[in-house]
Amino acid sequence: MDVQDQIGAMKEGKLSRRAFNRSLFALGITTVMVPLPARRAMAAAEDQATYFTWGGFDIPDYFVEYQAKHGEVPNFAAFGGTEEALVKLRSGFVADVVHPCLSGVPRWVDSGLFQPIDTSRLSNWPDVIPELYNVDFNMKDGKPWLAPFDWGQTSITYRTDLFEVKGEESWDMLWDPRYAGKLGLLSSGGDAWWCGAIKAGVPLSQIDSEEAFQKISAAMREQRPLIRTYTDDTTTLNQAIAAGELVAAMTWNSSAVELKAQGVPVKFAQPKEGALTWVCGVMLHKDAPHLDRAYDVIDSLISVPSGVFNIGSYGYGHSNRKAFDGFDDATLKGLGLSKNPVEILQAGHFQTPQTAEWEARMNSTWEQIKAGF
Amino acid sequence: MGSADEQHLGTDQGRILIHPLAPPLDQEQAITLSSSNSLGTLPAPTASGRFLHRHETLRGYLLLSPTLIVLALAILIPFGLLFTMSFWSMSGYDMVRTPTLGNYAAILEQPMYGALLSRSLMVAAIATGVTVILSYPVAYYVAFHVYRHKMLWIILLTLPFWTSYLLRIFAWRVVLGYEGALNSSLMGLGLIEAPLQAFLYSKTAVTIALAHAWAAFAILPIYVSLEKIDKSYLEAAADLGDTPARRFWRITLPLSLPGVVSAFFLMFIPTVGDYVTPAMLGGPDGMMIGNLIQAQFGPINNWPMGAALSLVMLMAVAVAGAVFLLLTRLVRR
Repeated sequence: MDVQDQIGAMKEGKLSRRAFNRSLFALGITTVMVPLPARRAMAAAEDQATYFTWGGFDIPDYFVEYQAKHGEVPNFAAFGGTEEALVKLRSGFVADVVHPCLSGVPRWVDSGLFQPIDTSRLSNWPDVIPELYNVDFNMKDGKPWLAPFDWGQTSITYRTDLFEVKGEESWDMLWDPRYAGKLGLLSSGGDAWWCGAIKAGVPLSQIDSEEAFQKISAAMREQRPLIRTYTDDTTTLNQAIAAGELVAAMTWNSSAVELKAQGVPVKFAQPKEGALTWVCGVMLHKDAPHLDRAYDVIDSLISVPSGVFNIGSYGYGHSNRKAFDGFDDATLKGLGLSKNPVEILQAGHFQTPQTAEWEARMNSTWEQIKAGF
Repeated sequence: MGSADEQHLGTDQGRILIHPLAPPLDQEQAITLSSSNSLGTLPAPTASGRFLHRHETLRGYLLLSPTLIVLALAILIPFGLLFTMSFWSMSGYDMVRTPTLGNYAAILEQPMYGALLSRSLMVAAIATGVTVILSYPVAYYVAFHVYRHKMLWIILLTLPFWTSYLLRIFAWRVVLGYEGALNSSLMGLGLIEAPLQAFLYSKTAVTIALAHAWAAFAILPIYVSLEKIDKSYLEAAADLGDTPARRFWRITLPLSLPGVVSAFFLMFIPTVGDYVTPAMLGGPDGMMIGNLIQAQFGPINNWPMGAALSLVMLMAVAVAGAVFLLLTRLVRR
């Protein structure tokens, strides 16, 4: 069967049906066979633990220790918000290690999908700052459900050359009608709704009241016409800020640090009302298929090299106190960090656990507001 | 079905073995070959074979059975689940399985659902309309004015499909973006001073991307129906004194309508529920029903509501389709 002949016959329209079917059959067989060798080459990845994390954390820089031990990085799966991640896990997705935040722990534990972490298996655990995990709901018989890893703030990154700050830095910046159509927001309710609460003057301890829902909804509805885009993709936000398409946006620490590194004149605001502060970390799936390697993933995340990367390149706080040793106080202050996390976390508004009903109501209200209702 | 195939293969192989140009086999060899493999002669029809031969419908279904099984497993069962689930409700993270019409009532009562649904239908209808209108001349040209390398033309028309859908959407972001190709060239020409924000994150952006992405789905069916038209009708009309325009209106267009209708359905149905295009290009005002359904199954975590919304969307598409069919009927008369 000569390919040239076949193409020639096809051009002239003389290809018989049988010959055509034969080539189609051959093509089908080829297609089915092609991935076989490739699959074999990838078999190594199946032996690695799977780490289900925020987009942006799925990079090798956090796995220096893990790579040294196992020669490869873990498998990654990414999500844009913790609610989305929990829904995916509840519907049967199994990852060895997942990356939620401390305020979500009670609800995540209630799902029955996780096991407490045996800290004696983590060589870096003695260096972890206890204030970051030692809260009642996170401990079971002396073992934490969540091993803290990163902490930081949700605040405003703005262009110092394009955004004229009136008076003090404030959440009002994201409600400033002068910059209508040039403001961006994180799409996940886990950030936006809470920042809305700070702007609306609702104490986070009362965020579950009916009045809080009314006030926050009103604030977010007022803001919507000013917003160019709601997105969970920090790259989209960063690019838009760098281009000047957005002049201010709700972001985490990392956007400001990355943009500064690119030479874009930006500042991570310290709003007078206080920023939203959070602690995130990793939880262990109860059916983790690679339990030993899952512990290595956790150990690698809380190690000094990943902490140095986390602080230096992303501007997030880290849970390993030794990771801060390489940074002087001025650098840390510029990043909105401190060697004493409690100082920062208490200065802002710290996210607190909420019920499943609250989360469901908040998320559906928030989706409605984003849709314009 | 299996036995018929084996028969076929058998005779085929037999023919190759006793190829006329092959050196003649000696008698003994030929006998061993045919007896050991029972090739060369057709086996006598069995009882089941006769039964199948007589019942043509049964044969048809048997032939279809792999497809039917896949269809049942992958479409009907999930559809049933979706239908059942749409009558459930959520309490916290648990699904309450007592049947209720609450989801449907909410869809009727709250303006958001209706508004998003009608926006989705509008965007899909405009995108489909634009695409069909733009595709018709292309298909017409290939069907009537291309004589050589027709296959090459067809392949060229499917070229946009050779890249991933997501890549095409990102390409549109590059074109329509703030520092994108369109803004840069307009600024280069001195037509605008600052980049326009209107292009990206709008319903228009979604419509443009959809129209581009689905063009091949519109061109191919129209091309096929145009290609089928018997050219002698056109010659006859010309002989009887019709102008080219009248010829088109009275013969070409009506005869190609089935292609136009199928192009409409092929494109309209999937685009109504499209999720990724509005998510990437829509911005706050370009959100469509697909995004809301995704949110129900994602962050909102209200699967019953998502199921109800999916079914309502399905019905809305069916109604829109029926209306369109009626309209084309009217046009044909």
